[in-house]
Amino acid sequence: MDDRQIQIIMDTFWPLLKAGVLYTIPLTLITFALGLIIAVITALIRLSSWTIPKFIAGFYVWIIRGTPLLVQLFIIFFGLPSAGIILSPYVSAVIGLSLSVGAYGSEIVRAAILSIQKGQWEAAYSLGMSRMQALRRIILPQAARVSVPPLGNSFISLVKDTSLVSIISFVEMFRKSQEYVAFYYEPLLLYSEVAVIYLLFCSVLTVLQNYVEKRLDRFSAS
Amino acid sequence: MIEIRGLHKSYGSLEVLKGVDLTLSKGKVLVIIGPSGSGKTTLLRCFNLLEMPDRGSLKLGENTFEFREGAKIPQKDILALRKDTGMVFQSLNLFPHMTALENVMEAQVTVQKKKKSEARKRAEVLLEKVGLADKADSYPHKLSGGQQQRVAIARAMALDPEVLLFDEPTSALDPELVGEVLKVIKQLAAEGMTMAIVTHEMKFAADVADHILLMDDGIIIEQGSPQEVLNNPKSSRAVQFLNHLNGKSDE
Repeated sequence: MDDRQIQIIMDTFWPLLKAGVLYTIPLTLITFALGLIIAVITALIRLSSWTIPKFIAGFYVWIIRGTPLLVQLFIIFFGLPSAGIILSPYVSAVIGLSLSVGAYGSEIVRAAILSIQKGQWEAAYSLGMSRMQALRRIILPQAARVSVPPLGNSFISLVKDTSLVSIISFVEMFRKSQEYVAFYYEPLLLYSEVAVIYLLFCSVLTVLQNYVEKRLDRFSAS
Repeated sequence: MIEIRGLHKSYGSLEVLKGVDLTLSKGKVLVIIGPSGSGKTTLLRCFNLLEMPDRGSLKLGENTFEFREGAKIPQKDILALRKDTGMVFQSLNLFPHMTALENVMEAQVTVQKKKKSEARKRAEVLLEKVGLADKADSYPHKLSGGQQQRVAIARAMALDPEVLLFDEPTSALDPELVGEVLKVIKQLAAEGMTMAIVTHEMKFAADVADHILLMDDGIIIEQGSPQEVLNNPKSSRAVQFLNHLNGKSDE
């Protein structure tokens, strides 16, 4: 590495990190929170006995899981304007990513709810609880613990997937690095640099995930 | 107190209860015995409608139900019935994410809408009663099977039910832990708690029961005082079952 390259890293590292902290991380947090709400609602509908909502929820999961996220983002940002729906890059990104998290997350949540022993439902029912009370007080808290490791994985995937929204002209960290590449003509150096920052974010999140798992572990035997 | 008439229940083509009648008066202990697959657990689970009978009637305190095929029982009636019954399960089923105390508080707060402080007080009294006051803040996985089952008994009593239902409460326990659970149940019997108990513990049944039902193949084949049923059974099927049990315990 020559002096010029070191100078480029010094000049770009903080702006890139700043873009990550100001755009990539908030986008990740917002879409994950929204996605999680969608996931829980979708999972509950799919476990219910309401035929039509069940069909719609199943259809949603089928479409989102069966098509590439990149194509979905293109449809939302470049496609919908033809139908008269014009969304900003930011809103498009939030919608596209949340729908994706919601669909994959709903399967995780559904599996977690199904993994709770039938006896827990029966114990709750035998105490006079309604289905909603049993779900809220007894089943979901236990299902939450079961779903933390797989949801943690989704969260880390999401951090990286946010780089896809650079293509719909939302200026997050990766888009910023592309701008630097256009300016400095150092693709290997700059893309590696941004990769390292992603790695940094994900490493911090992995530590955080372990911490949450430990916290939730306090009531389990293992 | 409890009156059941002509109770029928099928799973598909398998008829599990083929017309059961029984009466349990206040303060009495009913013990249901019988070979596995005889329908005794299903019968007990009809008491609080964890199983929905196909036909027949159930009267428990103020709650009355008529079952007919295709007729739906209103959810609020089912919930009202369950507030008047408490159940202890073979598989323990404590809520693992709550301490012993919270397990006993839960239904008081969620179902009865009691204040937390009141619920806590009652939970403490009940844990004291089953001899686990010192384990109030332990999570279930830190307790032995016998201790968990005693917490489950306290939990089942939290709503002041009119009747306690026990579904093979000691079958999942290590032999050395059975005694402490049976002791608590006997103590409740002595205090006049109305109870219906499915069990395989014959000595315990003889001790605690006011009335014993012997079930086989979905019907009651023998009933009466422990003396009558265990020592002087009338039907040959009952003799066979009791001999089989005794043979086993002699081994």
